[in-house]
Amino acid sequence: MENLNNVEQTIAVQSQDTCQLLNTFKDKMTLSLKVCAHCTLCAESCFMFMKNNKDPHYMPSYKFINSIGVIYKKKGNLKRNDLEKMKDIVWKHCVLCTRCYCPIGIDIPSMISTARSYCRAQGVYPEFDEIY
Amino acid sequence: MTESPLILLLYNLARGPLVWISGLIFIMGVIYQCVSMYKLTQKQIPFMKASQLNDPDALKFDIKQTVLYTHPVMTVVTSVFHMCLIIIPLFLLAHNILLDQSIGFSLLSFSENISDFLTMIYCVCAFIFLFRRIFLKRVRIISTFYDYVIWFLASAPFITGFLAYHQLFNYFWIVTLHMILGELMIIAIPFTKFAHMIYFIIFRFFVVNEYSLRRLQATRTF
Repeated sequence: MENLNNVEQTIAVQSQDTCQLLNTFKDKMTLSLKVCAHCTLCAESCFMFMKNNKDPHYMPSYKFINSIGVIYKKKGNLKRNDLEKMKDIVWKHCVLCTRCYCPIGIDIPSMISTARSYCRAQGVYPEFDEIY
Repeated sequence: MTESPLILLLYNLARGPLVWISGLIFIMGVIYQCVSMYKLTQKQIPFMKASQLNDPDALKFDIKQTVLYTHPVMTVVTSVFHMCLIIIPLFLLAHNILLDQSIGFSLLSFSENISDFLTMIYCVCAFIFLFRRIFLKRVRIISTFYDYVIWFLASAPFITGFLAYHQLFNYFWIVTLHMILGELMIIAIPFTKFAHMIYFIIFRFFVVNEYSLRRLQATRTF
């Protein structure tokens, strides 16, 4: 039983809906990840970054690269552990206030929103009684 | 000339056919990227112009919300860097002489001293970017090897051009390297992170959003 739990921890369920979701946003993800210059100039536009002592883990670019970027690189074949890590990034570190500003024009909130949809489709989402 | 046949072959290739091949790939790549971008767009949702809204803040420009306010030094460095990146190769006297000899057409040229000074400024900006990437934690945390390759591709043609102009090291080798690196950079523009050169213009001038120059009421659709 313990082994079974371990397997469940490492394999993400890939439903048809999830694949469709990724295909729908594939071109936008490709474009956004391709043009991101990793300049970090978006950082100060995020109030979560400012209120957390300018912790780089709260930068919009960090959140975008480590959520949708990971999903894209692994073509959706993520382990459940990866999704659990992503859960914090897309829900705890971002409130989707849409105030982040990218000098190149990447729609970061849309990308985070897609990552949230992907996680939710895989059954990874914060419970109502979870305290953030 | 006492150079080896290999370097002579490379020199002739870089000076002749590779220039046209890289230019052609660049133009075709730009067209491809523009078409790809166009396919991603959707039919415009009806919106009101900001000037038609009753909200007096709709057209208000708050400098505190811009990169100029949050990163004044980086704004200057990055603006100068990108401006030099475009104007130096276009208005360099040596490039225009070669262009004139090839097709009988040339653009205006800066004096050699101005070009030399601008190239030095460009190199300083490039090294500020590099040091920032290496020493600033927030940039380092999202940097990959690919970012350094892109930095190298953007700065190497200018550094080798500077060395060639001042005839430092072996001129023939350096100028060949300069041409090959420059052509590689031109080819890379539409297909790598350099594509932000194309998309920056599209986002700032054509796509309607609250930060674009077509600053109208934003319509978010996600």
